[in-house]
Amino acid sequence: MQRRTQMFVIAALSLGTVASMAASRASAEPVTVLYDDQVIEVERTLTDPNDLWVVPADLPRVNGFELKPEGACLEELCVPVLQDRDSDMFVTRAGQAWFNVTALARRLEQAYTADHDHRVWSFGEIPVTRTRFLRSAMAPDFALPNRDGEFVRLSDFRGKKVLLVTWASW
Amino acid sequence: MKDQNFEIIAVAEDTLGEAAAGEWYDAANPTYTALIDTTHRVSSLYNFVNVPSAAWIDEEGRVVRLNEGTYSQVISLGQASFGTDEYRPAVVDWVTNGADSPYVWSQEQVVGKIRRRTSDEALAEPNFKLGVYFYERDEALARTYWERAQALSPDSWNFHRQDWNLTEGLGGPQYRAKRGALGDKDYYAPLELGAAEPR
Repeated sequence: MQRRTQMFVIAALSLGTVASMAASRASAEPVTVLYDDQVIEVERTLTDPNDLWVVPADLPRVNGFELKPEGACLEELCVPVLQDRDSDMFVTRAGQAWFNVTALARRLEQAYTADHDHRVWSFGEIPVTRTRFLRSAMAPDFALPNRDGEFVRLSDFRGKKVLLVTWASW
Repeated sequence: MKDQNFEIIAVAEDTLGEAAAGEWYDAANPTYTALIDTTHRVSSLYNFVNVPSAAWIDEEGRVVRLNEGTYSQVISLGQASFGTDEYRPAVVDWVTNGADSPYVWSQEQVVGKIRRRTSDEALAEPNFKLGVYFYERDEALARTYWERAQALSPDSWNFHRQDWNLTEGLGGPQYRAKRGALGDKDYYAPLELGAAEPR
């Protein structure tokens, strides 16, 4: 009996938050995700006070990642994710797969915070995606609206010199 | 300078978007690219902490110079003449001479000039964004998150000034108090446009 208890503890530790997941269940309660400068509404999440779980199909529009057989990938960046068993980053509930966006953020040392009362999750930058700027001085790309609401991308001006200037009315 | 393959991109760091920046752009009737940035995305990406700030980006997308607040005295949107009288000739020199301009920095110099963020400063960003999100829904809640961002990143003038502007008006007492606390210390990086400046 004692041996079984120990095994349970070890299993719970090795699976990270899976033990706490016992209480979590699929939810129709929508959440709002603030990512880069986007506001993304997500209809389906797992109820979990500590983490944001979404279905893999929603992942690309939430944080740009795509769940592939080799893992969660953003361009050349891939974080391995086992998908034949539950882990802190991936679980299957009633046949539905769920991906833990906040666990991925922790793995990547990406800052995030949440307003739990209003179910809003807000994410900062992923440090590893910043090395081209921080080490090689390559200009970070962005797309922002002009006054007509059309999005303009910095990289559209490749081949020209660009003076990029921030200002504000305040 | 347009025909010399040169473009100015002006980015308004304004949470209220067109409502705040629009009349300035109207008055300027700009020939440059005028963009609206409600979440201060560009400041976040380039680690800027105040406006106006600038990056010079070459044809290959490489940053060859970074300046924070270089043109603190003069910002004339109308003639696209960002900067002080000292700054403008430097830009013209770069547009004309490209990599041979003495104002172009080496990769090592640019990398050395990029502000590095602490983990607290990194956490300030998502808090600031929560404030932006809540501003039109619940102003008191927005302030809570902005104050949290300010506490995490006390050096970010963007976070302070955007907040104070929306809650107490332009150049209000809190702004003046923080500015005054600096004394003679400029909150922008020094100009560094001297002739002796190393390449």
